[in-house]
Amino acid sequence: MKLGRARPGATPPAPLLCRWDLDKTYLRSEFDSLRSLLRTAFERAEDKVEVPGVAELIRALKATAERQGRKALVYFVSASPPQIGAAIRKKLALDGVPYDGIVFKDQLAYLKRGKLRNLREHVGFKLAELLRGRLAAPPGATELLFGDDWELDSLIYSLYADLVAGRLPPARLAPILRRIRVDPRLEGDILTLAGRAAGGERVARIFINLERRSPPATFRLFGPRVVPTFNYFQTAAVLGADGYLGAEEVARVGRVLLEGAGYTARRLENSLGDLVRRGVVTPVAADALGAPLRAAGVLPAADGTGARWRRVLGALRRLGRSGWGRRAGAAAGEAPALDYDAILDRGRRSA
Amino acid sequence: MPTIAVDAMGGDHAPDAVVQGVAQISLATDIECLLVGDERRIQSVLEGVSYNPEHIAILPCTDAIGMAEDPREAVKRRDTSLVVGVRAVAEGRAEAFVSAGNTGACVLACAKHFRLLRGIRRAALASVYPRQREHRGQDALALLLDVGATVRCEAEELVHFALMGGAYARRISKVASPAVGLLNMGSEEMKGGEVLVEAHRRLRQLPVVNFVGNIEGNDLVRGRADVIVCEGLLGNVALKLIEGISEVLYDLTNAAAARRVAWRLGLHLLAGGIERLRVLTDYTQYGGSPILGFEQLFIKCHGRSSARAIGNAVKVAAKAVRDHVPREIADALAAAR
Repeated sequence: MKLGRARPGATPPAPLLCRWDLDKTYLRSEFDSLRSLLRTAFERAEDKVEVPGVAELIRALKATAERQGRKALVYFVSASPPQIGAAIRKKLALDGVPYDGIVFKDQLAYLKRGKLRNLREHVGFKLAELLRGRLAAPPGATELLFGDDWELDSLIYSLYADLVAGRLPPARLAPILRRIRVDPRLEGDILTLAGRAAGGERVARIFINLERRSPPATFRLFGPRVVPTFNYFQTAAVLGADGYLGAEEVARVGRVLLEGAGYTARRLENSLGDLVRRGVVTPVAADALGAPLRAAGVLPAADGTGARWRRVLGALRRLGRSGWGRRAGAAAGEAPALDYDAILDRGRRSA
Repeated sequence: MPTIAVDAMGGDHAPDAVVQGVAQISLATDIECLLVGDERRIQSVLEGVSYNPEHIAILPCTDAIGMAEDPREAVKRRDTSLVVGVRAVAEGRAEAFVSAGNTGACVLACAKHFRLLRGIRRAALASVYPRQREHRGQDALALLLDVGATVRCEAEELVHFALMGGAYARRISKVASPAVGLLNMGSEEMKGGEVLVEAHRRLRQLPVVNFVGNIEGNDLVRGRADVIVCEGLLGNVALKLIEGISEVLYDLTNAAAARRVAWRLGLHLLAGGIERLRVLTDYTQYGGSPILGFEQLFIKCHGRSSARAIGNAVKVAAKAVRDHVPREIADALAAAR
């Protein structure tokens, strides 16, 4: 159980690189109809709405990293066109979000070339940009990736993580890219960049914001590195359990949801219970987080005997001993090789 | 928002249908559900469907009561989902309980762990069922009680059932002054034996009950009364008869369609009407039946309940909590004294 404590005398931890998708991950963008798409495109910064807790989470990640004596970099990689860049930058400034760069997809260039299909194909674009970003990042930086369940973020991020880890040689990557129908012009770039970026296990976690409320089981094929979360309190709790945030920062994210998004302490407690049941956070880590969060008023105060929470954790410990929920705490080093053929087969079936 | 405990292990299709029903409710409403049962099985179903974890908690337990078990023996086991859930409601950790499990065990568990309202001697299991409307604005559903909780009754208990049913209909169906009928073998007040005659006399004298007199079997599906009162044995037989006739009608229709092309054509022309009848008699949309008479609320669902039926039962339970049904019953009892 780490909870963001710096170990005195230890070598400084590797820099932290946090990369975020924008729409549906940071912003509550509406793409359900052409009208909402146009509205989003022309929306002023003041009218854009962020997903509750996300801005506080980014600030908290930076603050904790600084406290731990570690450099933290925040980048956004978005498939939105650069024309909306000014509004996005203003929105991030309004939210007080510290960031180090944003990359947009030049949709106009595809339009000019008549490549209409590429307007909607983001895998190649994002993969290439992630790899370029990796090459520009401080060597050895640990990465946290944040996406959502609207497009293929879990696939893109997993491919990227395996490429950087050197687990996906060009001979295996090329047929996958062709199956996804990545722009052939990008395929060569990706293969070259992947060869240069491969340098070891770097991606610690991939967080998927379940904006569409996709069933968590959908992501099982991606292994324990991919963590689907229903709100940013859950994301913060996992990061707290992994040592990227302290309990105080997790509480701050929770408080934003309580004060500004209509959440109750009970809803946050249920969110934490869900993480434990899914095996994302161990009962021990949840217990360690529980006390300070209760003290901060983010979780309901324990009743006289603390019976409810103890009963839940007791049952979960029993389940843990029986081998269920082994995903908890599994990090990058334990990431298994993914079966991308199975992932793409399933994607085709559910399409 | 109220917290509704739900028996995840009760019913023919548990835990799948129950957990899926709760998952649907978690996405559509702010009702908090406390799923009671085998945590591992519940979680495994939950992760395969869309849900909102913010509205779902799990109260783990290791045992479950089978549909065919002897209720008296079954409720003695303390770690069954039914008993753990009922105790959770009795202790105030949830405000109502929903179960599609063994009916006898449900009634006995309530009797063992819930407190009867002051003045009530016996609880009643009520059932909502579709009936013909007699006038515009009349509710499409009637309430029949008791349908099995109290097999034989005294006149006073039938009067209590009338007060409880009336209070429930006022709060849940929003009928300002529900018409209450006494199920009997004739409309005359002297029919049915000593208990029914006495019950008729008492109900007629109660100003807080809109008593419309005796109701015969053929009136059950007509709109004469919004609440029909009877002892448990009779109510159960009547309810099962209504369900049975409805099922036989569908079987006959299907058989006719398979037999002759002309009949199939005729049924095709009637398809709209048949579908309306199917919707009307579809128990999944009524959301279960309340066990009335206790300070706490219990909604009993059909054993074959689907996810949709469970979801609707949770909604009914939440409505009954919000509308303070037990208090309404207590007030009606006090006014009748």
